[in-house]
Amino acid sequence: MEWFKKWIDTLYNTFIVDDRYMTLVSGFEKTIVITLGALVIGVLIGTVVAVIKVFADGNKKLRFLDILCNIYLTIIRGTPVVVQLLISFFIIFVSAKDGTIVAIITFGINSGAYVAETIRSGIMAVDPGQMEAGRALGFSKLKTMQYIILPQALKNILPAIGNEMIALLKETSVAGYVAVVDITKAANQIKNTTYDHINPILLVALVYLALVIGLTKLLGIFERRLRKSER
Amino acid sequence: MNDNIIISTQDLCKFYRNGTIKALNGVSTEIRRGEVVVIIGPSGSGKSTLLRSLNLLEIPTTGRIYFEGTDITDPSLDVNLYRRRMGMVFQHFNLFPHMTVLKNMTIAPIKLLKKSEEEAKQKALQLLRLVGLEDRAEAYPSQLSGGQKQRVAIVRSLCMEPDMMLFDEPTSALDPEMVGEVLDVMKNLAETGMTMAVVTHEMGFAREVADRVIFMDEGQILEEGTPEQIFDHPQNPRTQAFLSKVL
Repeated sequence: MEWFKKWIDTLYNTFIVDDRYMTLVSGFEKTIVITLGALVIGVLIGTVVAVIKVFADGNKKLRFLDILCNIYLTIIRGTPVVVQLLISFFIIFVSAKDGTIVAIITFGINSGAYVAETIRSGIMAVDPGQMEAGRALGFSKLKTMQYIILPQALKNILPAIGNEMIALLKETSVAGYVAVVDITKAANQIKNTTYDHINPILLVALVYLALVIGLTKLLGIFERRLRKSER
Repeated sequence: MNDNIIISTQDLCKFYRNGTIKALNGVSTEIRRGEVVVIIGPSGSGKSTLLRSLNLLEIPTTGRIYFEGTDITDPSLDVNLYRRRMGMVFQHFNLFPHMTVLKNMTIAPIKLLKKSEEEAKQKALQLLRLVGLEDRAEAYPSQLSGGQKQRVAIVRSLCMEPDMMLFDEPTSALDPEMVGEVLDVMKNLAETGMTMAVVTHEMGFAREVADRVIFMDEGQILEEGTPEQIFDHPQNPRTQAFLSKVL
């Protein structure tokens, strides 16, 4: 029992003394805020890019936008997110005081590239008869997309969006590179002040794990509920 | 232009693969207000392509289509405005699976005709009553039988108060015992004076309801006339051969 008492003492010293756990709490909040904010931006960008790419297929007028989308996809998927973050913070948004906003925007733009392909495949999976039915009623292509195709596509790809959210949550752990004290950075700071190289890191790992397990469960429930509305 | 003619086509052609496949090869015809025209022919004869050209779901390669006096093949026109006035019923129903029956029927009148939700709903319920489905208003399409789906699809189009209706093999995807209920709805619709263009393999329906029957093969109209003329005294040998197989 001696080691156990010693461990408790270490934990106390690491997390409780000087209210150091508060850094972790605020870091946790940052992590959640960045993840959710980036997800919203990512889904918005992803939807727009996916719709442009679907419409550009067989429409020469949208060729320019299509090329623009391809450039975006190539650059974002061709470079690491950490590098994108550094470029954002130190080259593009030089005057930004708060790294959090920069992180949200950067992770959002990054996520959008991956979400775009997912949404595009979701759109392609919707029966082409749905577009015809919408057009035959007199809806424009865009309105049919908005009212009829996208709601079905998004429902189809909900699990994939959930996976994206999980990936995003873990990816935000590099936000510390641009002076954002997310939960990983917070643990690192505690490690450096207390010289406890074990517990802060393990705790953070546990927090991520719990979040991911919780998210997975939540998604399962959500999905089942969506499906029920159609049966 | 004759006021009685609601839609007419002029030398309509639809080519695929640089003209090696001629789905439509010079079709000129016209449909009068209140007329029920049934288009028959072997598969691949271009009858569906012709029907789908009428509301420009297929863009003809050459030729013109005049709808209520306007050349709707003119690319500077907003074709969506004309499609509102032509209802279309598909072989595979194409109901919107994420919406209830009522929502399926009201979304277009609300969004396109700017009707109030209440007004659109009343109209939809009234039409559902006519086809005996008022108790399914809150159901989702997946909860309906094929025949019910197609009846909903028909009244969904009618909610837009169209000037004419296009039917693209409306009973081909149905189980045999459900064909009758859909044909009955179409028959009743014809009796109200709705202009209808129907592609179908239901020869009994064609004989009973059609004012005019068009026989197509290889992208061309080979023969047209009253049901008696086509079914009892076909002139063209291809019409005779086709009818001897299906009747």
